[in-house]
Amino acid sequence: MLEIALRAFLILIYATFVGFMFMGIIRIVTARIHRRVGPPIYQPILDTIKLLSKKSNITHGLIYDFGIIYALGATILALMFIPLGNISILRAYGDLILITFLLEIPMLGIMFAAMSSGNPWAGLGAQRALLTLLAIQVPLGFAIIALAQFYGTFSTYEIVMAQQAGGWSIFHLPLFLAAIAYDIVLQAMFGKEPFDIMIAPGEISLGPMVEFGGKHMGMLQIQHAIALFAETLFFANIFLGGGSILVLLIKQVAVLMIAIFIGAIFPRFTIDQAAKFYWKWPTIIAALGAILASL
Amino acid sequence: MVDWRLFEPLFNYARKKSLWIVAFCTGCGGIEMPPLMTSRYDLERFGMMPNPAPRMADLFLITGYVTPKTLKRIIITYELQPDPKYVLAHGSCPLNGGIYWDSYNAIKHLDRYIPVDVAIAGCMPRPEAVMDGIKKIMEMIENGTADGWKRYKENYEWYKKNQDELFGEGWREKEARRWIPWLKKK
Amino acid sequence: MSINPIPIIILAPLIGGFLAWLINIKGIREIIGVISAAIPLGYLAYLYQQLSKETINFTLSLSGFEFNFLLYKLGWFFATIAALVGFAAILGMTSTSKDGYEWLFALMSLTGVLGVFLAFDMVSFFIFWEIMTFGSFMMVLKYNKKASLKYFLLSLFGAYSMLIAIGILYASVGDLSFAGMSVASMMLTKWKLALIYLLFLIAFGVKAGAFPLHVWAPDAYSETNQSYTAMFSGALSKAGVYGFILIYILIGSKLAYDFGAFRSTTKFGYIIAFIGGLTIVVGGLLAALQEDIRKLFAYSSISQLGYVLIGIGVGTALSIQAALFHTLSHALFKGLFFLIVATIVYRTGKTEFKDMGGLAEKMPITFAMAFVAILSLAGIPPLVGFASKWLLFEAVISQNLPILGGFIFFGSAIGFVYLIRFTYAVWFGQRPTDLDDTKDAPLPLAIAMGILALLNVVFGIAPGLVAKELNSILGKEVIKGDLFILDLGFGKYNALLLTIWLVIGIVIAGIVYFMGAKVRRVPVTDTYQSGNPVTMEYNLTIRRNFFLPLKETLAFWLRMSFDRLYQDVGKSVEDLAETLRYYVYNGNVQSYAWYLAIVLVVLALWGW
Repeated sequence: MLEIALRAFLILIYATFVGFMFMGIIRIVTARIHRRVGPPIYQPILDTIKLLSKKSNITHGLIYDFGIIYALGATILALMFIPLGNISILRAYGDLILITFLLEIPMLGIMFAAMSSGNPWAGLGAQRALLTLLAIQVPLGFAIIALAQFYGTFSTYEIVMAQQAGGWSIFHLPLFLAAIAYDIVLQAMFGKEPFDIMIAPGEISLGPMVEFGGKHMGMLQIQHAIALFAETLFFANIFLGGGSILVLLIKQVAVLMIAIFIGAIFPRFTIDQAAKFYWKWPTIIAALGAILASL
Repeated sequence: MVDWRLFEPLFNYARKKSLWIVAFCTGCGGIEMPPLMTSRYDLERFGMMPNPAPRMADLFLITGYVTPKTLKRIIITYELQPDPKYVLAHGSCPLNGGIYWDSYNAIKHLDRYIPVDVAIAGCMPRPEAVMDGIKKIMEMIENGTADGWKRYKENYEWYKKNQDELFGEGWREKEARRWIPWLKKK
Repeated sequence: MSINPIPIIILAPLIGGFLAWLINIKGIREIIGVISAAIPLGYLAYLYQQLSKETINFTLSLSGFEFNFLLYKLGWFFATIAALVGFAAILGMTSTSKDGYEWLFALMSLTGVLGVFLAFDMVSFFIFWEIMTFGSFMMVLKYNKKASLKYFLLSLFGAYSMLIAIGILYASVGDLSFAGMSVASMMLTKWKLALIYLLFLIAFGVKAGAFPLHVWAPDAYSETNQSYTAMFSGALSKAGVYGFILIYILIGSKLAYDFGAFRSTTKFGYIIAFIGGLTIVVGGLLAALQEDIRKLFAYSSISQLGYVLIGIGVGTALSIQAALFHTLSHALFKGLFFLIVATIVYRTGKTEFKDMGGLAEKMPITFAMAFVAILSLAGIPPLVGFASKWLLFEAVISQNLPILGGFIFFGSAIGFVYLIRFTYAVWFGQRPTDLDDTKDAPLPLAIAMGILALLNVVFGIAPGLVAKELNSILGKEVIKGDLFILDLGFGKYNALLLTIWLVIGIVIAGIVYFMGAKVRRVPVTDTYQSGNPVTMEYNLTIRRNFFLPLKETLAFWLRMSFDRLYQDVGKSVEDLAETLRYYVYNGNVQSYAWYLAIVLVVLALWGW
């Protein structure tokens, strides 16, 4: 019991810290691509401390608070199910479908909180976020199906084990296609360009985030850090062969770098363009992968 | 619950190193912002970030002259920001009217309506001057003298009186209703 | 015990309905109605112990015909769902019903649906099927004639199909009991069998609201007493689901033998599953674009039943169990949703999204129930909607059927989409001034909602309760595990552990939250509108056309398909063109769905 609690605590601290470092890396690498110096790598931690130490906070009601708490709680929950080297706690129950759902539900909490503020920007952002979710769900679904069919199991841990015996997933053609599609989906899950229309800063004032300030935004920063960690970790586990914590970290950074490079050089899609894009190429690639995997 | 005063130096350091700017360009100084944020001067080195939502912003830049119309928005936006919040007035116009010193439609003294922490003189101040002003406000945050938000709370009656003198009582409601016929027509 | 329980279970609501209609005194008719709806539920619960050992049958001989009824595990499962949702709906009706007429026909349709689940020969099945249809038709007729006629015509179409199928079966078999039929169906020729299959598909597809035949449902579901719709959607549509299972029981083995297999499933099953997949997509997309709160949930009900059809179509033991589980969860969360809609309509008198907003403050209990229902339908663990959806995902994907898997993934996302539209437009944002004195749910409705919401949570945290029951229906242990764990061998779901960790996560988040400075409550007008002040007099919340971009995205496909259709048919055929325009105009999203269907068919052929 105590050991589990300790391990959970360590995972949480590690994930939060690495997640913040990832956010710092995103800002630095983007700055370097822009030929700027960029902030220090620990900048997101300073931002979060500042936000949490704000002296006045506002609320729009119970759901406004609970949505944020729920989002952070659900992200922590999702983190615990993903295999993390040898120290993960709930990996025996780390079902593919379950984790896919768990990685989506924090967004629902944020949307609830955002919408309860009554700000039309937030409503617009929620609408765009949901349509993005609808758009990514099809290729994401096919990628997950391809994985489950290829390995004949839904357990993430068993998939990792199978990869350590038979090579990484991306070295098999069906799963390589699935990985490409999933990586494009990941771009939207991170909220990076070209699929960041839901938080479009200049147009709808950060969309769902517009009313969050102070500790609410600070908690969302923590949530974002953990989610960033969890999403890259999930990708590294199911497609890049898993491994020990250090190996995983390298793979996670690699996944992150692809997202940053794409994000730094692409402009933004409008929501209908994004939906059409996702329903075309990634869907075809992922469906092809799923069909090949099922043969 | 916890006595957070112990951590106040850390918080002040974080506040100083992570100033998020409200992207609210009121006057001609707005054009000085792009060079500041991009690769020539790169304010992100200091952890500054332009931010479209005032709820999570710290630093309010008044970039240039202020008219009564923009002043209403400035006051509303300023009040939306959570404490602690800082105001940096940009150029001569918010200080004393600048070249609009005899204009009927420009605000001559911004600090009569909202508290200004640091003012940068010049018409227009070069980005170097703005950076100097930002450095100044960072120092003030660290040693706790950037207390405009406290002054606004303490002297709210005085600020309110000045605002109401200019716009008339109940200007917020009047302003909000002004758009309804136009919106309904759409 | 001397009295056979089956007639009591079936006839109690009907008798109660007649009494309520005859007495028709406000207060008494409500009591009679609720009691008569509680009798089947109580009796069925009481018989649970006895059923694990034996089945109960009942035979009635009337003018040469024999009516057979049998209470067995599968029938019990469906009948209990129907009785439960029916009871909740009847409880809700004590607040919303207007006169004895509604009590009579609502309870009559409950009798019909219970009879359908307990019937054991085709004649009594058909008779009760018609009683059910008639009762629900009369309920719709009172509110809207056009909608009721549409419902009636399609039901008639389905009923005739069933009658012809029964006739063909009887002509070639000479036996009307289910037991006799399933044996004798082996003698049917291939084409006769195909015809019967098609006719049954139409008959049950109408009731279940499967894709091409779903058009009656949005109108009929919305144009009636909304408490009754909880039963309409929660219980009556289950008769269609039960019918699809009957296809398996009656002619399934012969169909599988004659028409062969498609990959890992049967061909005839794959057709059902594919129809189910299209139903999910079409229903979901249309639900997202509705402007009426009742229509939104009507389409969402159609969409969710698509999942059940997929599960039945795949046809493995696991997928049938998943479909049955989803039948239960569908009844629980859809019943809850329609009771919520009933409360909103009852308290505000408005049905369209453009007239609502900000009700969460005024109706906290209803909002809490809606929160549970939303989480359950959207498939958020640890609620029952997730448990059943998870089983379905695993059942379908493990059978190597990628296209169907794609359908259900799309379905889960579209669920999020239309639920958020409901949440935003009804509960949050600025409140129109005429809703300022809205009161919370009346007590009977609150109790009815509470029952269903509680079961949503209980079966969600302890899915093993249902899984055990499903295992005993199929007579083998397909889903292993205990009370809280569902173990399929290739996938595991531990609801209790998940709940515990969710609570831990929320506690951690709560600690971070409460360490920050105190919050100050601000009104809904204190928001950032580019610096403009806001007044309550003008409502800024987006109510109409919330998913306009989605509409625009799909409209593009509509134009494409419209043009192509137009070119193909040619302008000279005026009537046909008119018809087409009527169809294209009527269901603009459907034409997109057709396009999608064609693409998916091509894909399916590709990955043969």
